[in-house]
Amino acid sequence: MPEALDIRMRKRSSIRKQTGSGREALIGYLFILPSIIGFSIFVLYPLVMSAYYSLTRWDGVTDPVFVGFKNFVYIFTKDPSFIPSLKATGLFALMSVPVSLIVGLLLAVLLNRNLPGIKLFRTAVYLPAVLPSIAVLTLWKFIYNPQYGLANQFLSALHLPTSTWLSSYEMALPSIVIIGLWGVGSTMIIFLAGLQSVPKELYEAAKLDGAGTTRLFLRITLPMISPILFLQLILQIITALQAFNQFQVLTSSSSAGDHGGPGFATTVLMLHIYQSGFGSLSQFPQIGYASAEVWVLFILIGLITIFTFRFSSMWVYEESNLD
Amino acid sequence: MRVTLSDNETLVPSSGKYRNWRIFNVSVWYIIIAVVSISMLFPLLWMLTIALKGNNDVYKIPPEFFPREFHWDNFIKGVQAINFGPLFLNTVIITVLSTIGSVASSMLVAYGLSRIRFPGRKVWFYLFIGSMMLPGIVGLIPLFHLYLNLNMYDTWFPLFLPAFFGNPLYIFLARQYYLSIPYSLDEAAKIDGANHFTIFTRIMVPLTRPIWITMIIMTFTASWNDYLNPLVYLYTDSKWTLSLGMASFSGAFAGVATTQWNLYMATNLLYMLPPLIIFFVAQRYFIQGLSSLGSTTQK
Repeated sequence: MPEALDIRMRKRSSIRKQTGSGREALIGYLFILPSIIGFSIFVLYPLVMSAYYSLTRWDGVTDPVFVGFKNFVYIFTKDPSFIPSLKATGLFALMSVPVSLIVGLLLAVLLNRNLPGIKLFRTAVYLPAVLPSIAVLTLWKFIYNPQYGLANQFLSALHLPTSTWLSSYEMALPSIVIIGLWGVGSTMIIFLAGLQSVPKELYEAAKLDGAGTTRLFLRITLPMISPILFLQLILQIITALQAFNQFQVLTSSSSAGDHGGPGFATTVLMLHIYQSGFGSLSQFPQIGYASAEVWVLFILIGLITIFTFRFSSMWVYEESNLD
Repeated sequence: MRVTLSDNETLVPSSGKYRNWRIFNVSVWYIIIAVVSISMLFPLLWMLTIALKGNNDVYKIPPEFFPREFHWDNFIKGVQAINFGPLFLNTVIITVLSTIGSVASSMLVAYGLSRIRFPGRKVWFYLFIGSMMLPGIVGLIPLFHLYLNLNMYDTWFPLFLPAFFGNPLYIFLARQYYLSIPYSLDEAAKIDGANHFTIFTRIMVPLTRPIWITMIIMTFTASWNDYLNPLVYLYTDSKWTLSLGMASFSGAFAGVATTQWNLYMATNLLYMLPPLIIFFVAQRYFIQGLSSLGSTTQK
């Protein structure tokens, strides 16, 4: 009887699997043990502890004092520097993310040809992205020097008005966004790979139907690379909201020793958190408060990410969207 | 430029008008691309000219582009001013340790996740890459106090220890790559009596060379360029990394009222050199690795 035979074979194979799989599982877990430990120490632990700290008042030396949600209340109601900081962070993200995505995409389209010497040009564009950020930032600090820097030299050579760049309230953030643009090479490379993975037949078929360059770009290229665009959008937003190095290095005023740029124009949240958490010349470390700020930033990033994901099904092309 | 055709003409590759249009098109493209490349590289070029200028040349108004004399000794003076040698050594040690840790642990974990069948492997995979979404800042303060309590403040441990516990991005990339290798290889090896570790070291590691070379380059660059972590964890000057040393350069030179930018730029160039060299040497793998984030892999 076939069914009885099946049952017997099934039983035999399942028994065999049971004696083998136990050992497999052990070895499997051994292999991934480093990450399990890493996850516990570097993900779970900080999540729990920072949540705890955010509910305390603590200067790092004496014992933490539990204060409930007072930190959060203070953040949103009484702190004069938090809202400007939030504004600076938001402005920075709003400026740098679209600009670098668009410029990266344009450069990728530009460099998506097979002409001789193309590799040289791609390397040239990508090169600045490889450099250490401190090296880049200090170089640009000098470029933006009002008297001796390249920026004003360049502008005055063209008889254009000069600027005080990093000390100017209006130009401080844009100056920093421009520095980010210098490193757009890595975005460009990723888009380039995406562009090259679009099947050529699509273009040929469209051209046969008489599509012009703009149409080709809007109706074929953009939809086909939309998953990569989406991924880059998310990553760039997350990175922009956590930007730190450029603000810490470029906006120090030597007199007060405090960082932050003209009128909090460039005190982004990360910098604000760093100053709260580790103290500056004008205040003791307030670790509980800084942790609360961290959670605000964290929730902000989470909300924006979820929001972007929700909207993604509208414009991101995936195989499953077809039905 | 629109190519106008008369009634009997068509744009065929052999026609003269098509060739003219193509030549024009390509030349314009080269001009644009040359302008773009030069503007990208210009700040570096400018840096070189500053690095070679004498002290009086730097602060000339109106500024001149080319240095009057070529002060190659600026490189030496700059190196001496910030204790470049020891800082360089520090950075190299930390970077090498981080690189070994990241690559080895990530390759191991990715192997386990992709080539060993055990319950829960998908869950753990999603947990690991989910942790990428966690902003680094959440960990900053708790980890700082953790290290403080472990007496690891002002040591190099916080800078390279985490590397040995796997890097989510690398695990993701490696796993993608592993999945494209047929399982028949594993099975053949198992028949010959190999255990998982042997398969990993003898078969997988050589096969996945592009991936771990990419990882080495990425880790090297990330570690060499790291600023926030050394800033937070290192207090004593002698233990600093180059990034800290270079950032505080203006402080080191603030003995005078203004920073000596020519010395600074010279040292900056030296600081940039190792990542640049690594980049040029391994460019092929690097771009290949980054491209895997961009191309749509259907597996």
